[in-house]
Order: sequence, then C-alpha cells, then structure tokens
Amino acid sequence: MAGAVSALFLLDIKGRVLVWRDYRGDVTAIQAERFFTKLIEKEGDPQSQDPVVYDNGVTYMFVQHSNVYLMTAARQNCNAASLLSFLHRVVDVFKHYFEELEEESLRDNFVVVYELLDEMMDFGYPQYTEAKILSEFIKTDAYRMETTQRPPMAVTNAVSWRSEGIAYKKNEVFLDVVESVNILVNSNGQVIRSDVVGALKMRTYLSGMPECKLGLNDRVLLEAQGRTTKGKAIDLEDIKFHQCVRLARFENDRTISFIPPDGSFDLMTYRLSTQVKPLIWVEAQVERHSRSRVEIMVKARSQFKERSTATNVEIELPVPADASNPNIRTSMGSASYAPEHDALMWKIKSFPGGKEYMLRAEFNLPSIFYCFRNPGTTPLRNNQVRYLKVIEKSGYQALPWVRYITMAGEYELRLI
Amino acid sequence: MAPPAQSSRYPSPSQPSGKGEVSDLRLQLRQLAGSRAPGVDDSKRELFKKVISYMTIGIDVSSLFGEMVMCSVTPDIVLKKMCYLYVGNYAKVNPDLALLTINFLQRDCKDQDPMIRGLALRSLSSLRVANLVEYLVGPLGSGLKDNNAYVRTVAVMGAVKLYHISASTCIDADFPATLKHLMLNDSDSQVVVNCLFALQEIWNSESSKSEEATREKEGLISKPFIYYLLNRLREFNEWGQCLVLELVAKYVPSDTNENFDIMNLLEDRLQHANGAVVLATIKVFLQLTLSMADVHQEVYERIKAPLLTLVSSGSPEQSYAVLSHLHLLVMRAPYIFASDYKHFYCQYNEPSYVKKLKLEMLTAVANESNTYEIVTELCEYAANVDVPIARESIRAVGKIALQQYDVNAIVDRLLQFLEMEKDYVTAEALVLVKDLLRKYPQWSHDCIAVVGNISSKNVQEPKAKAALIWMLGEYAQDMDDAPYILESLVENWEEDAPEVRLHLLTAIMKCFFRRPPETQKALGIALAAGVADFHQDVHDRALFYYRLLQYDVSSAERVVNPPKQAVSVFADTQSNEIKDRIFDEFNSLSVVYQKPSYMFTDKDHRGPFEFSDEIGNLTVGVESEHEVPATSVDANETSDLLLSTTEKEETRAMVANGSDYTAPLYDSSSRALPSQGQSELAITSLLGTSDPGPQASMAIDDLLMGLDLTAPPAPASAPPSLKLNARAALDAGSFQRKWRELPVAISQECELSSQGAAALTSAQALLQHMQGNSIQCIASGGQSPNFKFFFFAQKAEEPSVFLVECKINTSTAKAQLNIKAEDQSTSHEFSALFQSALSRFGMS
Repeated sequence: MAGAVSALFLLDIKGRVLVWRDYRGDVTAIQAERFFTKLIEKEGDPQSQDPVVYDNGVTYMFVQHSNVYLMTAARQNCNAASLLSFLHRVVDVFKHYFEELEEESLRDNFVVVYELLDEMMDFGYPQYTEAKILSEFIKTDAYRMETTQRPPMAVTNAVSWRSEGIAYKKNEVFLDVVESVNILVNSNGQVIRSDVVGALKMRTYLSGMPECKLGLNDRVLLEAQGRTTKGKAIDLEDIKFHQCVRLARFENDRTISFIPPDGSFDLMTYRLSTQVKPLIWVEAQVERHSRSRVEIMVKARSQFKERSTATNVEIELPVPADASNPNIRTSMGSASYAPEHDALMWKIKSFPGGKEYMLRAEFNLPSIFYCFRNPGTTPLRNNQVRYLKVIEKSGYQALPWVRYITMAGEYELRLI
Repeated sequence: MAPPAQSSRYPSPSQPSGKGEVSDLRLQLRQLAGSRAPGVDDSKRELFKKVISYMTIGIDVSSLFGEMVMCSVTPDIVLKKMCYLYVGNYAKVNPDLALLTINFLQRDCKDQDPMIRGLALRSLSSLRVANLVEYLVGPLGSGLKDNNAYVRTVAVMGAVKLYHISASTCIDADFPATLKHLMLNDSDSQVVVNCLFALQEIWNSESSKSEEATREKEGLISKPFIYYLLNRLREFNEWGQCLVLELVAKYVPSDTNENFDIMNLLEDRLQHANGAVVLATIKVFLQLTLSMADVHQEVYERIKAPLLTLVSSGSPEQSYAVLSHLHLLVMRAPYIFASDYKHFYCQYNEPSYVKKLKLEMLTAVANESNTYEIVTELCEYAANVDVPIARESIRAVGKIALQQYDVNAIVDRLLQFLEMEKDYVTAEALVLVKDLLRKYPQWSHDCIAVVGNISSKNVQEPKAKAALIWMLGEYAQDMDDAPYILESLVENWEEDAPEVRLHLLTAIMKCFFRRPPETQKALGIALAAGVADFHQDVHDRALFYYRLLQYDVSSAERVVNPPKQAVSVFADTQSNEIKDRIFDEFNSLSVVYQKPSYMFTDKDHRGPFEFSDEIGNLTVGVESEHEVPATSVDANETSDLLLSTTEKEETRAMVANGSDYTAPLYDSSSRALPSQGQSELAITSLLGTSDPGPQASMAIDDLLMGLDLTAPPAPASAPPSLKLNARAALDAGSFQRKWRELPVAISQECELSSQGAAALTSAQALLQHMQGNSIQCIASGGQSPNFKFFFFAQKAEEPSVFLVECKINTSTAKAQLNIKAEDQSTSHEFSALFQSALSRFGMS
C-alpha cells in the first residue's frame, strides 16, 4: 500500500451518495458525487468505463455490485491492485452481514455500515477485512450485542483468520473441487485456446483449532515419491493458496496443511493449461433469405459420457442490437430473446451425455452476428483429491465430504 | 466525517424537508435524556437510528447536538457507537459544541471495556478540530500503552491523525519515538503495520525539516529493520504484507547472496491468493534483480505464470489492475511473453478497458513466429459489434505491419478491410494504409488499386478523409481520376474539417505538379477558397502556396513535392525517462495511468517514499529514486542484449532509448545552473549509475567536478582545428540508423595510461571524463576488466556527427576504437582528439 485513501463511498445506481466515510478530509462528497454522476451520464454504459478514473487531482476507483457502486477516492498515488481487491472484500463483508448487498440493505443498516467502514479502514489504510473476524465485534442484532460484549480477541491472535473457542456438535468438512473451463474456438472449429481454472472450495464446521491435511494427486509429488503416475496424476500450474495454508511446508514436501477458517472459503486455486475438449459443441448455420431476414440453425452436442448430465446449460447467441421479431423453435429447452443482453438465451435444464439438440430462429436484421457462449455444469474429472484429514487436540471425528463440479468459465465458440 | 450537504441537495417531494422531524426528535430526546425507566435504551436506540439515517440522507440534524450528547451518558455500546458517529460528523462544523463531547469521550477512553476505549479514542482523534488537540494527547498516550491490542491499533492511527491536525503537538509529545518502539516490539501484527503506516507518513513529511527524521526514514529501509519485518511477514494480514513488501522493494542488499536470500524467502508469496500481494512480491523481485541481467530475465519467467492466472481469475476490475502491470512488463520485455500471446486474446464479453490493454499487448508481442495467428485473431475483432474495439483492432493490425513482420500478408488483410464496406472499418484502414505507404512505398501499387475504388463520399471521418486525400495527392500519377476526385472535394470545401482542408490544399498542389492541365482549375478554386478561409492555418497555407507559385513554380515544386525518404521509425510518444519512472513506481496508480505520479498528484499528497524535489534528499543515497535509474540502465542494456537476437528494430529503438536518457541529462547538468527539477534528475541519475551506498557522496563530488569541467564550452586542451559541440544531442534511434548507414572510417587500437586503466572501475567514471571533452556517451556496458562504450560527438558549427565504438580492456590498458564520421575529411582529426581525451583519463 503506497498511499492512503481519502474517502470511501457507497453510491446508488444513479451515482448519488448513499453512505460515505471520510477518512482524511481532503475529498468532499459533493465533489465525488458530481464527478461520478457525470461519468455515468456521459458513458451511458458504466461497465465499459475504466474502473480507475482520474479527475481534478483525485483518483476514483470503483466496482459495481447489483445496484450499488463502491468507490474510493484518493489524492495519493495508491496501489490500484490492492484497493480494487479491497473494494471486493468490502462487498464480501457486506454480503456476509446483509445476505445481499444492494441499495435497500444499505439503507436499512446505516449504523452497521458505518461501523464496518470504520473497522475495515482507518485513516485510509485497510485494517480488518475478514468477515468472520469483524462479526466477532460488530454484531448486527442488538440483542446479541449485549450478551456477547467482548473485546475483539480474534484480531490479536497469531491465527488471525480463526478465533478460539468455536464448537460444533457435529464436525463436518465439505470440499468442492470446482473447475471452470475457459475455451476459445474459432470459426473453423479449432480450439485456439483452452485452460482450466480450478478452485478447492471448503466449508468447515469444526470445533477448536483443527489441523487439516489435504493430499492431492499432484504429479510433482507422486513422481518425487517414485510412484507410478499413469493417468491419475494431474499437473497443477500456478497454485495459489488461502493465507491459512502453510506455504513453507508445501514448498518442502508438497503437503497442504492448514488451520481452516470457520465457514466457507477458497482453500486453493490453480490453473491447468491442458487441451480440453469442449463439453458441449455448438455449430451454427446462417441462411440469409432476404436482405433483412435471416434464419439461423444451431446444433448443440454434448461430448461427455452418457451417464453424466450437464445441468443448467445456457447458450447465449449474441445478435445485433437492432434485431427484431425473432421466431424461435427448439428441440429441447427454452429459448428467448433477451434484448437487454442483445442476445438469444437458450436454456437447457438437463443435458445428458451423447445427445444433440437443435434450435432454429428467424430474425429481421440488417447485419450479422458471430459469437457463442455456453456456461453449464458437469463433472469433467474427478481424481484430484487423494485424502483429507482433520486432526484436533480433543480428537473428535470429523466427516469430510468431497464433491466435483465442472463449470464453463469463459466458453466462447465463434461461429461465423 | 464531514457533514453531508444540506437538505436542499435533493429537493424531492418524497423526502422529508427535515424541519418538523428534527424538532420532533429533539423533544423525544429531551424526554429520554434524564429517564431511568427500564427499556429506555431501546427507545433511545430507535431515536438514534433515526437521527443517523436523517444525517445520512442529507438532512441537517446538527441542531440536536446538545440533546445527543446528553443522551450519550449510557453504558450501552450500541448507543455509544451511534453517538460517536454523530459527533464525528458534526464536530468539525461546530467546534464549540465539540468541546461538550470532549468530556464524555475522555471518560470513555478510560472505560474498562477495551472496545469502548478503542472506539472513543478513534472518535476523539477523528474530531479534526485544531483547538481541541490538547485534550487528545493524554488519551493517545495512554492508548498507545494500553494492554489491549485493539486500543493500540486505534491509538497508533490516532497519532497520525494528530500529526495532520497539529504536527508540532504530535512531535512534542514524542509520539514518533513511541510508535517506533511499538513497531519494533509489539506482539500484535496490526499494531506493527499501523505503526509503519504512521511513521512513513510522519517521517516523510518531517524529513524536509529535520535531519533526525531523515535518518529515521532511512532507518526504515535499513538491513536490521527490513529483516525484522521479513521475519514477521507471515503474521501480517494481506494489506500489511503489501505494505511491507513495498518497503522491501526499496531495500538495497549489500551483496547478491542477500538478494537471493530475500527472494527465496518471498517466493511463496507469489502463490498468495490476493493479487495485490503477488504484485507487491513481483515488484521486490524486479527491483532486487535490476542489476543482475540474467537473473532479471529469470524473474520474468518466474512471475509469468502467477500473473497470467491472476488475469484470468477474479473480477474484471482486479484483472484490469493486474493487466495494467502485465502490460508494463510486456512492453519492457515483449520477447519473454511472445509465446503466451493466446492469453491476450479477447473474450467477447470482457469489458472494453480489458480488451484495449490486451490488444496493445498482442501488438507488442508479435514476432516472426506468431504474427500470422495474432493478425488472424485481430481480424476477427475487426468485425466486432463493439465498434471502439473493432477500431482498436484494426489499428493494432497496422502497428504490427509497421513492425515489419509478414508485411505481405498484413497488407492483404488491410486491403480486405477496405472492402468490408463498414464506415468505421474503412476509415481506420485508410489511416493505416497511409502510414504503411510512408514506411513501405514499395507497396503503393497494390494499395492504390484498392484505395482508388473507394468513393470519397463514403469517407466521413476527418482523419480518414485526410489520409485518403494525402494518398490522392501523393500518388496522383497512379490514380487516373485523382484530379477529378480532388476537384469534387474542393467543391464541398465548406463541409470539411480544417484538418481535411489543409490536406486538400497540399494534395492539389502535388497533383498540380504532376498533372497540371487536369488540376489547374481545381487548384484555382482551392487557393481562392483557402485564402478566404476563416481558419487561420488554412488561410496561411493557401496564401503561402499562392505566393510560392507566384514566385517560381519550380521552387514551389521543390518545396511541396520533394523526393521523399521512407520513414523508418515512427516516433515513440513516451520518453524513456518517463517509462523508467513508471517502472520505479510499479504497483501503484502510475502504472494504470501510464504516467509517473508527479503528473497526477499534488506535492502535498505524494505518498510515503515518493520523494519530492528537495536536493536535500540526495545525502540519502539509498532512496528509491536515486537507486533505480542506476539499475535501469543495466536493465535496458539487458533487454538490448536480449533483443539483438530478435532483430526487432522498433522495439529495439524504443528500449535502447532507455540508455540514452543519460545523455540529455548530462546535457542539462552541463548548463551552468540548471533548474532545480532538472538538476535533481541529472544528479540522481549520476548517483544512480554509480554504485549504491557509501559511494553516493563521492558521486556528488564527481558531479560537481563534472560541472566545473563542463562549464567552458570547449575544453582548452582540445586541438583548435576541430571544435566539438559541448551540448550535442542524438537520440538512440538516429544513432543506430547512422551507425548502420555509415562505413567505418578509422579502426585502430590505442593505449590507455596506467592511471586511466586503474581509474576505470565503472563505466560511469569514463563517461564523465569524456563528457568533459564534449564527447557524449549513448550506451555503455560491461564489467571490469572489459568495457564497451558507444560515444558520439558533434561538430561545433555544423550538425555533422562522429560515432565511436570503444572497447576497453583495463587489465591490458588497451582500447579498440571504431570511428564512423558523417564528414569523412575530419575523421582523423577527431580520432586524434578522441585519443588524446582518452589518454588524459585518470590524470586529473
């Protein structure tokens, strides 16, 4: 963090200040609001606007979440990456407190919002941003507040992400291996880029200070131990861990050991740049019947095992903003024209392996479209995790649950 | 918190005007103030909440100050918090009333609940009322000694706040010393981090006033302290780690082993989930290895994977921040990222700010092996619905074409763009074809055939129209109907932008010289319209042409239509000095804006460790600003070495420019007394290029000597027959061009004096000496005993230059010279002068 932030604003969708916290007194709300409303008006679509904007000596950085903008204003040369991460962390904290972060929930909770803003940042420098720890000393419910009035001990622990004295009747750990596949296919049907971004998402309900160990079918580790690695092992590239993982140990013997935070968190993320076959292949044909009338035919084919099923598949067919009068038929699922996205949305609730479905649509349009997208879920691989152990002083038995999910990340097939 | 604007800000019928409600609230508060009935706290809470929400939506409730303070005597922490909030909001505008709150805040600072102590202290220190600071010192002092860490973290921040209200009070109370003690001894990591934040701010602004603060500030990047922080690094939360890493990046290890120790220690930080920590670590790695060329390149290889992952994960905003930094690195070392070009492909649903950066990177990494794929990909974007991005993509294709890879294929693509019949595609492509023709006139035949088919009526954008008109004028003899198109354009004179009218005038002139009978009429109309034009430039140009033609038609042709040389390198818009500054400020807004911080912050708001222009800082010698230019010369040299394998002319020119920034700087120091800013730069770069640490002060002495030496325009000892320009200037691009063009005039070996050989411990020493003899260095490199220099000099009276490649081996005291000269007749004289200058090195 090079510089300090002058103030933090929460703005509504029109750019008006809902709540703000002035940390250093050198940027006014009026100034910030004037700037931001102008920005929104001028651009029309603030999503295309750079998230870092300079105006009259002040740097504004903002992120949007539902109908709220979170924005910092600073006069110093700040650390952009750090502050944008910080804003997203603020979003997470608010979501933890109010379930949903939107204008209404902020309006209903002014007092808590102020308290949180005070604890997350002091004099423009980030302080505590772990929702779990903040909720130790900022309680939303006034009643609970009185009964558990105690100093914020967790913040002073050596293990800053977990406070002592947590107790559960049933000790459980859930581990989701979520992989999202990023694929880019060009109009000749060639995969020009593909990689997999994976995350190990955990939810822990464990008492005390449990020590967890996770074993992976990590090729580097298995080869180091001289074991055969045929088929099973996986190459992990650029692994990133949650701060609770002892990185030094991982460096030494590739064991992932950690004291987990309470509740849900991302244990690790990784990237694989292997060639992946798209789970669902989409092809399209376009016929121009007249200058303005166009018919498209889209074929979607699932390319995974028959016993697996992809759920909630959405195929988005971008069309020009001036398209009109669509007439759509599908052999499975439902399709509708979503003018707000300038796209046709084809949704298929359940898409079993080895099947092929069709969509036909007729349009009036003056020009042509060319892009496809396809998010969906289905297990792609399921052999990453070898074991998950939980050890705690008191010696209770914990139940580990492991699940594999594959999602489409950036999944783009260019068709025409 | 400053007061929200008054209620009149949003006059809307649905919102209460406030007056009635406020007096209502006042009554209710009064009733509750003295009451001890059970449940009274709950009703107070409701009331307080109402007050806070009124305050937030912009209704002025400051008139309730008295009542709020009265009600705040309560053990209820929720009520207290709301009351603090209220007080903090209105104290600044009501300093008199704020005095009322001091009492209860001070009392709360002694509460037995640490939470209340902390909150009260924070509120007290946030009042920002200058005449209340005396009440703040006591509670802050005890807060800093509190046995609860939460209170201490708040108190530390309180101390900086106090410093900003009244610096003298803070210093007199000896808070900096207390903070320093806490920073070195406190068991709580957040306290340590906050102390660091605080002390950076305090010492940074104090250092201009006191020697001691300067020393303390240096202490922050001293070895013991940096090691202390590194040892505790893992305790800190992610923001604390960012701060510490930022500081470590400024630390200069004493030897390479230390360098590697630190990097080994920090390597695992590259795997941190928070992108900010990863970037901070990368900064440390880059700064530590600046002087180690090969390791520096390994660092690039090492940080590639984490960066590329960060780009494709996280929110668009976060990936934008990372991409901006990646962009900087790609621009510095495109060849390292050349094989990763696919990561810079755009997804159609990415925000355009991300796409723009990606396009620039695709342009930068293009080389022989990937140009075809990249251009194919870019052509897909050209048909994109997102028009600004489609335009950018076409420009990117053009830029790649200008980089000389596979020009043939690219020209075809560009010509296809022209046939796509989309206005903006045609417009962009026209501008590009124009630039392309300026660089590769040999393609004119293919291009003109296609350009000729474009109807000027379909081109509306001034830039594109100007480009089309330029081509019509330039290639009038190849396009049959050029005069007639120009003529029709002249008829609509009024409709076009001034830029277009200017081009039109010139094009018609050119056309006239080639095909006079067909153009004469149009020329007459154009000149008449031009002379009558309201736009000053158009008017002047028309008049100028008119008089020129009147004077002599053949001279006019020489002026308007001279034979042209193809443009080899288009100017690089950003100076290398600025690029290096931005690199020094890695991991800050400078990178996002692509501007150094002094361009967008006022002096008061430069963050800690971004030093201002006081020369006083120079004594430090280990500051970032002083350190980095040094090493960046090496870095440039590295890239130069690396680049030479890839024959990448333009980037080469761009990167090589980096080393020439020393030249203009020396130049500025040779003026008797340069302006402060300039001298600082010059001095820092001198300081920089010498070895860090103890030698810094010596370097200043050297500099002063240098100034003395350079003061006379030409050294007295130089042979009178050949005088050199003491302020010669040449940029790296032209140096390279000239070096390629000119033959070697003299190649010989000469001797160095033994003192000279001994004095040549670093390249820097010789540079200053030669500069004293009006011979400038454009690039240097090597390590004892082998050095290599490129020098240049310019004659005093004419622009003719001499170029010298000089390889020196200090162990044999021999120098190998290769001299090239624009004016061959004087090359021997120059050689003698150069050798005599060289032989005098080390004598003085």
